[in-house]
Amino acid sequence: MSGTINKTELERRAINYDFAAPVTSTASIAETIVVGFGDGSVRFFQAGHEPRLIQAHEGVVLCMAVNQSYIFTGGDDGKFLRISLSGDVEEIANFGSRWVDCVAATSEAYACSSDRATHVWSRKGSKASVLEHNSTVGGLAFDSKGKRLAVAHYGGVTVWEPNDRRWKSKKLIWKGFHSSVTFSPDDKYIITIMQENALHGWRIRDKADLAMAGYPAKIKSFDWVGETPYLATSGADAAICWPFDRKDGPLGRAPVCVADGEKQLSTYVCSLSQENAVFAGFKNGEVLLAEIDESKDSIVLKNATNREITAISLTKSLSHILIGDEGGHVLWAALWAGALNDQFI
Amino acid sequence: MLNSTQVPVTVLTGFLGAGKTTLLNRILTERHGKKYAVIVNEFGEEGIDNDLVVDADEEVFEMNNGCICCTVRGDLIRILSGLMKRADQLDAIIVETTGLADPAPVAQTFFVDQDVADRTKLDAIVTVADAVHLEGQLGEHHEAEEQVAFADVVLLNKTDLIEGHSLGLIENRIRKINPYAKIIKTAHCAAPLDEIVGLNAFSLERVLEVEPDFLESDHDHDHDDDITSVSYVSDTPLDLEKFQAWFGKVLQTKGQDILRSKGILDFDGQDDRYVFQGVHMLMDGSPMGPWPEGKKRNSRVVFIGRGVENMGLKEGFESCRAL
Repeated sequence: MSGTINKTELERRAINYDFAAPVTSTASIAETIVVGFGDGSVRFFQAGHEPRLIQAHEGVVLCMAVNQSYIFTGGDDGKFLRISLSGDVEEIANFGSRWVDCVAATSEAYACSSDRATHVWSRKGSKASVLEHNSTVGGLAFDSKGKRLAVAHYGGVTVWEPNDRRWKSKKLIWKGFHSSVTFSPDDKYIITIMQENALHGWRIRDKADLAMAGYPAKIKSFDWVGETPYLATSGADAAICWPFDRKDGPLGRAPVCVADGEKQLSTYVCSLSQENAVFAGFKNGEVLLAEIDESKDSIVLKNATNREITAISLTKSLSHILIGDEGGHVLWAALWAGALNDQFI
Repeated sequence: MLNSTQVPVTVLTGFLGAGKTTLLNRILTERHGKKYAVIVNEFGEEGIDNDLVVDADEEVFEMNNGCICCTVRGDLIRILSGLMKRADQLDAIIVETTGLADPAPVAQTFFVDQDVADRTKLDAIVTVADAVHLEGQLGEHHEAEEQVAFADVVLLNKTDLIEGHSLGLIENRIRKINPYAKIIKTAHCAAPLDEIVGLNAFSLERVLEVEPDFLESDHDHDHDDDITSVSYVSDTPLDLEKFQAWFGKVLQTKGQDILRSKGILDFDGQDDRYVFQGVHMLMDGSPMGPWPEGKKRNSRVVFIGRGVENMGLKEGFESCRAL
């Protein structure tokens, strides 16, 4: 089937890798794209270099976050690790048989969760603050200033803020289980992915609820796009993009649906903010690029492979793109046509 | 999807002291040559033979989806999703539940979460029961009754400590609650693992294979809230629309008290057998091929639950006959 499909421009200039384990996570620092795998390995991708292998965890790399200088990973081996760009691995904490499910990082602080507890380290002190919750933590996110920490769990989100030497908390309540969480770029909203095929949001100022439901599948990925900004999400047969401009954000407004997957479910989204566009990866392995404008057609960047897309990442200069899937396949390519092909040193 | 094979998940229930830990130890120490992941509560044992032990706390979440009895195990969704990202393929996953756990949220997790349903499948609920103490536990704790009612297999353990006559009585008691369960009698949980793991008990095909072992029911139990089972047969074909309307209403209004339901149906004007099975309000059903040659076409339904004999199910079922 795939033999009869013409390769896309991106596929023609791409380098393809097949690794032994599913791609579980990705992030980028400057010109390095970091990828985590289901066998505990982490790999660095840089233009002009072969991927660099870092043996990080013993089991699955469950989660990843970065700040300007470090990569933070959590694994099902119970370890919370800090990895430098030179490849040094440092164990920050070890929870034994309990998994490290979520991580978050800023230049000021970093945090991880294991079971019901969130552990936060500030740059100054080496001792962690332990923030307890009533159920297992589903997601962690710092605000843009790296000050407040949102912790998603069953029944809503707890927003923690350091106050002198203690932490004060504020609860945002909504029934159901909340996993990944994010602050809007202006720090005015907090949005979570729910178990119930929906997004939920709160305007932090007055705790006003934003229920964004109607998805046919679980939302696995979201990303903020552009100046408006839009929150692009997976979980439907397109990228569903909610507008967060104006006074009330998406309240009472319809989302913009772009990157039509023709009945395929989107599983990963990644922002191309400079172009007000979004990359959408699908369950069948296809990747589309679409401007957030329903009147424009999307571009097919990668054809279907029948392997679910689990990662899309860009270098900060937007020179290169990386696409990873559940089968351990990684595509690495110059993003723009006409850019120089990779040459290994 | 890449992995078309779904990893089977066996749920191990049983009252405190029944022998669950003995069975888990056997699974973890026997050289079975398979790769299992075992999800436990505070077990503290390391598996040999490459087995993987995952520690978890049972977390029962109420879904915010309008289904009033829809609770799921949040920890299972998280851990099963994590296990599916591993590089190595697991042969099976075994989930231990605590002695007082209600098996429903575990079973419902496999109906409700699409990722879990795509990559894993509920294989069977295996309940370990203590032959000496089960009778007393059934009287005192509704959890014990529920664990027997949900079971696909009851591993009746410690049979070496009980006389033949008493053993017969306790078997009858189990069958009255759950005529569908396969009873394996053992001492020290010494049953072959292939009778416990890899049974495919939740597949619809399996509903067709197992002939329930019904007892003449004399309804002599003491309390109305006892868990029992009822079954009805109709030789007259059923009307599809009438059945759907009736069954939907039954699950909606009585789903909280109906723990499990199963049936093979002969719809008027349809060539294929229709097979279903449900857990509380959630139901899975589909046509399962033509009726075997020479076998009588009829419709059979079984309900296991609390007060099922007083729900008017018989009249309701009979009213679904095609005229």
